[in-house]
Amino acid sequence: MKKAFVLGLTLVLAMAGAGLCLAAEPIKIGLMAPVTGSWASEGEDMKNIVNLLAEEVNAQGGLLGQKVAVVLEDDAGDPRTASLAAQRLATQGVKAVIGTYGSSVTEASQSIYDESSILQVANGSTAIRLTEKGLKYFFRTCPRDDEQGRVASQTIRQMGFKKVAILHDNTSYAKGLADEGNALLKKDGVKIVFFDALTPGERDFTAILTKMKAAKPDAVFFTGYFPELGLILRQKKEMNWPVPFIGGDATNNPDLVKIAGKVAAEGYYFLSPPVPQDLPFEKTKAFLKAYTAKHGAAPGSIWAVLAGDGFLTVVEAIKATQSTDPEKLAAFLHSGQQKISGLTGEISFNAKGDRVGEVYRVYRVDADGNFVLQDK
Amino acid sequence: MIDAKYKMGGFIALAMLLAVSPLFLNAYWVDVLNSVGLYALLALSLNVILGDAGLYNMGHAAFFAVGAYTAAYLNTQFGVPILWALPISGISAGLFGVVLARPVIHLRGDYLLIVTVGVGEIIRIALINNVFGVTGGPNGIFGIARPELFGFRIRRPQEFFYLIWGFVAVTVFLFARLKNSRFGRALDCLREDPVAAEGSGINTGRYQLLAFMVGAAWAGMAGCLYASKMTIISPESFSFWESVLIFIIVILGGAGNIAGVILGTFLIIGLPELFRGFASARMWFFGLAMMIMMIFRTEGILPHRPRIFKNLDRLLP
Amino acid sequence: MPLRRRPASLRPPPGNLAGSLAGGLLCSGPPVYVPGKRKMEEFFQQLTNGLAVGCIYALIALGYTMVYGVLKLINFAHGDLFTLGAYLGLTLLTSLGLSGRLGPLLGLLLLAVLVMGFVALTGALLERAAYRPLRQSPRLSAVVSALGASIFLQNTIMLIYGARIHVYPQDILPKVALEIGGVSIPLVRILVFVVSLLLMGALFLFIQRTRLGTAIRAAAIDQAAARLMGINVDQVILIVFLIGPGLGGVAGLLVGLYYGQVNFTMGWVYGLKAFTAAILGGIGNIPGAMVGGLILGVIEALGAAYISVAWKDAIAFLVLIVILIVRPTGILGERVADKV
Repeated sequence: MKKAFVLGLTLVLAMAGAGLCLAAEPIKIGLMAPVTGSWASEGEDMKNIVNLLAEEVNAQGGLLGQKVAVVLEDDAGDPRTASLAAQRLATQGVKAVIGTYGSSVTEASQSIYDESSILQVANGSTAIRLTEKGLKYFFRTCPRDDEQGRVASQTIRQMGFKKVAILHDNTSYAKGLADEGNALLKKDGVKIVFFDALTPGERDFTAILTKMKAAKPDAVFFTGYFPELGLILRQKKEMNWPVPFIGGDATNNPDLVKIAGKVAAEGYYFLSPPVPQDLPFEKTKAFLKAYTAKHGAAPGSIWAVLAGDGFLTVVEAIKATQSTDPEKLAAFLHSGQQKISGLTGEISFNAKGDRVGEVYRVYRVDADGNFVLQDK
Repeated sequence: MIDAKYKMGGFIALAMLLAVSPLFLNAYWVDVLNSVGLYALLALSLNVILGDAGLYNMGHAAFFAVGAYTAAYLNTQFGVPILWALPISGISAGLFGVVLARPVIHLRGDYLLIVTVGVGEIIRIALINNVFGVTGGPNGIFGIARPELFGFRIRRPQEFFYLIWGFVAVTVFLFARLKNSRFGRALDCLREDPVAAEGSGINTGRYQLLAFMVGAAWAGMAGCLYASKMTIISPESFSFWESVLIFIIVILGGAGNIAGVILGTFLIIGLPELFRGFASARMWFFGLAMMIMMIFRTEGILPHRPRIFKNLDRLLP
Repeated sequence: MPLRRRPASLRPPPGNLAGSLAGGLLCSGPPVYVPGKRKMEEFFQQLTNGLAVGCIYALIALGYTMVYGVLKLINFAHGDLFTLGAYLGLTLLTSLGLSGRLGPLLGLLLLAVLVMGFVALTGALLERAAYRPLRQSPRLSAVVSALGASIFLQNTIMLIYGARIHVYPQDILPKVALEIGGVSIPLVRILVFVVSLLLMGALFLFIQRTRLGTAIRAAAIDQAAARLMGINVDQVILIVFLIGPGLGGVAGLLVGLYYGQVNFTMGWVYGLKAFTAAILGGIGNIPGAMVGGLILGVIEALGAAYISVAWKDAIAFLVLIVILIVRPTGILGERVADKV
């Protein structure tokens, strides 16, 4: 057995050596995504989109005369695995990393990339404090929770609701948004009659719904994710409780209507960056067509599309500065001198690394299960 | 059987190889070894409870969490340096272990198992819900300082390597001594046959509680090291799955056998990293590997060997 | 002296604790002593919510408890067999178009039988591959093998079906709801309830009244003695691994049909809860698993309703711990003799 251990250790060392010896010919851009674990569906979409974009870039001649290679590492949606994934990418000579989805997962990797001077563009992490640390190389193509909270409470007030129930799921993102909404709504004189969290991964929410119903809210603000919301809408319908629901952007997913059923999903409002299908840009439409041709269906998640925007950000920055030096890239992106044309529109960043522009729009689900963009 | 001298020599050689490995491995692999080291600490601490005392504990992440959050809280709120917070985390986790174990220590095997699972979950839910307002809820606590040793800040993976594995070495030494002490012999006895142990005058309840306390305290200290390595901790790192993982390491490595537990840690933590090449099938291979390993080495990779006292040879025919 | 040995006269009387506990829960009103129709309605609504969830827990718990009774093994892969049942049901439903052809009731029956059969076979295969080689080994080794099997099965499902959520076709069962005394119960929920009770009842009769059932009980009490009595213990184990996973598979199908949504990690949470339920009722005890499941469901619902939704699971575990402290072998106690 000792022999096996020695053999194993030798194998480990050999692989490390091999890793060190790899010559870095193409320009490597890393992608850190939840390929396994509970957010594997996001990871799959992210992987597909970024790979397709890289293929297109290479087909058009590559970057600075070299090919682009995407190096994928799995973060399993878990901070510990993410820090290992980050270490791995950092030692493989990547020039920039796109990722990742969960805020606490991104946070676990931030300092590692920063210390190695690697550009990081997150696509789904909306927690406010990620860009409040003064990290020079960190950017995100997704908006922040405070913007969403602002738009949410604005929308709720505009709709005239006086008593609101707030439901989240105790994840970093959902609680953050719920707290934002709570504070802003209270300031505007709206009464919060219920504030509690469900347990993600569960199926039966009848107990929570019964309890919420007893509090008699005019509307419910739900800040969690679409799997739970789909079930809630469905079970709410079965209870015959017609209260309107307003949700955050994590509920934006075509599977929502599948899970809830068209009848139950009708009349549901949510906030989201515009879904790709609603973007008028020719570039986006062409890309979606190519994606559907290759994978059989359009991407399910707007966050994966934002990962594509992250990739385009890096590519455009390299093209504009004609270098892969992280200092130059970061300076270029912070300066905002040139807007980057992405899949979700024009991209530019402020001094903190946040994406500039008001991104959030209100959507309503109609009787056919379509997401209909509402006017501001 | 391999002669004890050669065995010891082999271990020393491996230890020396491990000690110089940061010099020629890149940062990623050193970080993997750091991860292995932390889990080795956790597994060794669970080994005292599960392997030596034979108490089924599948909620060990709770002690890990108590230690980590204690250190994080003291460090971020009161500026207590990490290395001073280390023993405090140990004490708080140890106390917590005693308080937890006291009412339930008499429960039989599988019932104790589910109680420990329950406690692990209760702790995690309490952390998420920001109990007492100090845990930061789902965001956890961030901005934890790095350990400082005489003005030298331990920051890079290579530096953490020596801190963590140094601590592991101390732990191995202490636990080996513990095994050969009165305490260790008493635990051996009450694990194999509690009735006979009682009959020999061993206060089983007291020893079991002590085992819990030692195991919990060590896990707490591992938590402190983890907190300063990650600089942010959140409830996700202390889930039921983590407890299960540590449990698997102890049983697979060989419950009760210190070398086995360390070897088990290398396998269980190292394998998913080695399997990264398989992308989405990574965990599939891992599950398969685990089943195969258990079937081929049913007592664990380095099974616990019963104590043989040299002079007994003369008494046996 | 061990820490907590109480003299026999002070130990709680065996048997009727379950009845009194259940009765207590059912008869106690909400903690807020404001009588009023609204509060009572809400209470009964939550109670039915809890019982419905509890039925599923009970069905899955039966699989755990049966296997444990005979093999003393906690089959952690059981939750994933449950998931397998849910996914298989989906595949059969969509590919064979069962919803269209035969009438809904007959189609469902056929579906249930097919799912049960397939998952049962998988369970038997699992026993052969992962547990039989470990029969003579320490118990915890088999537990680790079970955990490995669980990861293996879960990831197999993920690799075959993909990581995204899958949804059951919506239009199979009518969406009517019954109103009894202000409490609204969807028809499907009643169906789930009825099917679960029927299955549990059938299993109970099987275990108590048939020869094979008696053989299973005998093997659960003492394998060696059962062998001496001429019972083919290998066959008994095979049967147990067919019935237990079979029930788990049907539970998966019911969850898929009722909630409509399945994903590859669903077995983890349900498995843990069901295992808790089995322990709560007394592991190895079949009526105990049923009672444990129902009680756990009710505790969860009432905990969510009257204390806090976010703490609901913590409350359920806390109640479990308290019950175990008071009654160390679970509510209905264990039917397995202890090694002296």
